[in-house]
Amino acid sequence: MTTSKFNMSAMGSWSRRVFLAAAGSAAIIAAAGVPAANAQDAEWQKVIDAGKKEGSLVLYTALVGQPSTKQIAAAFTKEYGINVEVLEARASEIRERVRVEQSAGRFAADVMFTSEGQTMLYDTEDKSVDPLPVTPNSTKIGDRFKLKVPMASVMTIPYGIMINTGLVKPADEPKSWKDLADPKWQGKILSDDPRAIGAGYLWFFSTYTRIGEDYVKKVADQKLVFTRDQRESQRRTARGEYSIYTPVIMTDFSDLKGLPVKFIIPEEGVPYVLYGNVLLKKAPHPNAAKLYLDFMQGPTVQKIYASLGYGPVLAGMTEGLPADVKAISEAKLYGTTDTTRQNEMLAKSKEIFK
Amino acid sequence: MTIIHNRSLDDIAENTPTLRGNAFTRAFSGGSLPRLIGMLLLILILAFLTLYPLGMLLYGSLHSTPPGMAGEFNLNGYRSIMTTQNLIVLANTVGISLAKTIPSLVIAVFLAWIIARTDTPFRGTLEVLITLPFFIPPILTAMAWGMLANPQVGVINMVWRWMSGGTDPLVNIYSYGGVIWHMCQYSIPFLFLFMVDAFRAMDPSLEESSRMCGASRWTTFRKITLLLMLPVLTSSFMLSFIKGIETFESALFFGLPAGIKVITTDIYESINHRATPDYQYATSLSFAIMGLMLLLVIAQWAILRGKSFQTVTGKGFRPNVMELGPWRWVTFAFCVLFFLLTVVLPVGQLMLGSFFRFFGFYTYDMLTLEHYRSVFSNSEFWRALRNTMVLGLLGASATMVLGAIVAYISIRTRWRGRSLIDGMAWLPWMMPGMVLGVGFLWAFAMLPGPIPIYGTIWALLLAYIALGTPVAVRVMTGSYHQLSYDLEECSRVHGASWFQTMWRILVALAWPAFAVGWVLTFFGIMRELSASILLYSVGSETLAVVLMKLWANGNAEQVSVIGLMMMLMVIVFRWVQLAFINARVSKL
Repeated sequence: MTTSKFNMSAMGSWSRRVFLAAAGSAAIIAAAGVPAANAQDAEWQKVIDAGKKEGSLVLYTALVGQPSTKQIAAAFTKEYGINVEVLEARASEIRERVRVEQSAGRFAADVMFTSEGQTMLYDTEDKSVDPLPVTPNSTKIGDRFKLKVPMASVMTIPYGIMINTGLVKPADEPKSWKDLADPKWQGKILSDDPRAIGAGYLWFFSTYTRIGEDYVKKVADQKLVFTRDQRESQRRTARGEYSIYTPVIMTDFSDLKGLPVKFIIPEEGVPYVLYGNVLLKKAPHPNAAKLYLDFMQGPTVQKIYASLGYGPVLAGMTEGLPADVKAISEAKLYGTTDTTRQNEMLAKSKEIFK
Repeated sequence: MTIIHNRSLDDIAENTPTLRGNAFTRAFSGGSLPRLIGMLLLILILAFLTLYPLGMLLYGSLHSTPPGMAGEFNLNGYRSIMTTQNLIVLANTVGISLAKTIPSLVIAVFLAWIIARTDTPFRGTLEVLITLPFFIPPILTAMAWGMLANPQVGVINMVWRWMSGGTDPLVNIYSYGGVIWHMCQYSIPFLFLFMVDAFRAMDPSLEESSRMCGASRWTTFRKITLLLMLPVLTSSFMLSFIKGIETFESALFFGLPAGIKVITTDIYESINHRATPDYQYATSLSFAIMGLMLLLVIAQWAILRGKSFQTVTGKGFRPNVMELGPWRWVTFAFCVLFFLLTVVLPVGQLMLGSFFRFFGFYTYDMLTLEHYRSVFSNSEFWRALRNTMVLGLLGASATMVLGAIVAYISIRTRWRGRSLIDGMAWLPWMMPGMVLGVGFLWAFAMLPGPIPIYGTIWALLLAYIALGTPVAVRVMTGSYHQLSYDLEECSRVHGASWFQTMWRILVALAWPAFAVGWVLTFFGIMRELSASILLYSVGSETLAVVLMKLWANGNAEQVSVIGLMMMLMVIVFRWVQLAFINARVSKL
């Protein structure tokens, strides 16, 4: 009981209200100088202590099979001595698990690693997430990654174009998304299916809203061949079935080194999916969860993601990286999807890509 | 059916009042209460395993939101599936399933006949080898066939172009033919496994009598062998056809690029590729399909009702094979050709690829053992293997015991409620796996708090038993259909107790079917993903979950290593079963 009371106290004390109150009073407190910072440090220290006492954390992740998950969990355990139990499943599966578990009063998970779009659905439809706590690192991330939805942004997954270098001469390489509409590629493009939620739809949404319907219709005339297996499609293109595969997860470039393929960052930029953490309702380890959320936005994890080519949400994380990784990690972000328009845009995609 | 003179269950009930049923029935002849309790217990178990999750899904189909969310009851789900587009997709799906089931059944019957009823050389080895494709994860064979038969750079087409000098491809796996071919890779060995022991258990004297009466080999095969196999054949057809309707991987992998749509890809899309999963649509569509499938099951009952198919009698059963003379080399060649096409070609690709950094890039500098090292040093893999072995052993054993009991009561007794349990055991087979998985999630998570199933390994075990029961019951049903009632009565007349009768007659004679059912169920559990991914908890990952993670992350070569290990395990299991256990049980 003592522990429980302590946890609740720590949880309550480091609330958004307190933090904002503290931040809002910054000018006044600035006069006092150091004591304000000390107060915040002390509050955070209570969260750390409570989290360590909780001892473990249950993480659900929709990013399946990524070795970085284990790497980060190990780094977190090393930092705080808190064990991380990870459960992986695809986005729709994990969402339904969380929804049903909470409906049945089984609050098993603390944190969910998911996308911005899914978070909106968790928040507005399932009501399965808690408001986001403000943590020390959460104030340091780039402004464009501070969201309205309760997700602590962690990284972006960039999408670009992949070519088979045996089939595409250097002079012919597409440099822009617009180049995909060139008739010379007719029948030579393997594409993730834009008629279903996924990478293909992300490309469709981004280019439709930025370049326009005419462009998308021209690409539709290219007799694209659709697929829904991203990794196998990369291999198929590498083996010479198609000249181009699009859109490709740019961070996969390191896994395919040695194959006759090239990953291209289009000049307009890369469509992206923003991933981050949400705090699930009635998390059994609320303080450990807050520590994890904070840790994921801190330099240790941000550097891990940057080194893999993902876009960090914290500035200055790409210094010293190899040039090819740095280029992908720093690629200009082109656009992402808007969950509120998903049904409308899916219908449009199905209409264009019959 | 006039050729069969063994007594049917109806004859026994009508003509032998002194015996009043069979051994099992008489075991409880002291009173009907124990039997009643037993039946109730069985109905409760089956209801929990099948009706409860299906009931949750039915709720989902009739409610605007899934269980646990505020909403209202309506028929919107059923209304939304009534579209011309869905009708076309349904017709397409039924067409594809028929197109794969009929040739699969013909080839499987031929193979079963060759292996069980002829003197074809090396048939013992061939029996194990030709079943191997069934045990490989479909995604792996899909990948292998993608490399072999894609129209651009597929190995088969490259060889064809080199030989013919032409530019057109010989085969294109991304087509209707490709989808059907890939499905056949699984249905032929499945059907073969399902039927081979029924062929083996048949008293050859019936065929010999036919030949003595002047019938040709073909007429004998058609009018005696096939007719006697009717229960097994209809069961096999039903299982395979229904599974064909629900097949997903082949259609997604090879059908999508060719614009081929089937019902399951539509269901998959409604759950996984919409802004919000539309469970009402998915469940409504699944129940509509289930309704159609039920009509087929009823048709099967009607075909088999009142007929007897007993071929294993007390009259002295001489296992015998047909001597084919020089033709045995033709049948041998057919088996070898089948083995080459369905095993050597795809598995060869997987085996070769597992020793190179990337599939399809077979150069010296790409040679590596890294994939094997990665798998063997992956602690998650070992944990998942351990979990899966435990679940597989327990699950397959429990499923087969349950299946054997259900089949026994359904076939060899006249107890009230036997049709009910038989029907209940069919149900999980008629619901697409990905939807049934959601049913299990809803059912187990919504159980009252004190019932500790959700989040434990028990949830997986129960789901596996439910999923395996239809096959278990069908396998045992086919076998029990063949056993004459004389055998049990003889045993009892000679003073054997009920347990001795059960053990020596029913277990020993039905053992081959039990063993085949066990292997099918065990490897079904090893491959099951739809329910596993929704029910596993931290620490209880199964092999299928680990395979899915590796595949999702682009580690196809590691997935192949595990697939090859699974295949090796099958060879060992089947060898132990065929060479060791069968021999011992037959001496009982």
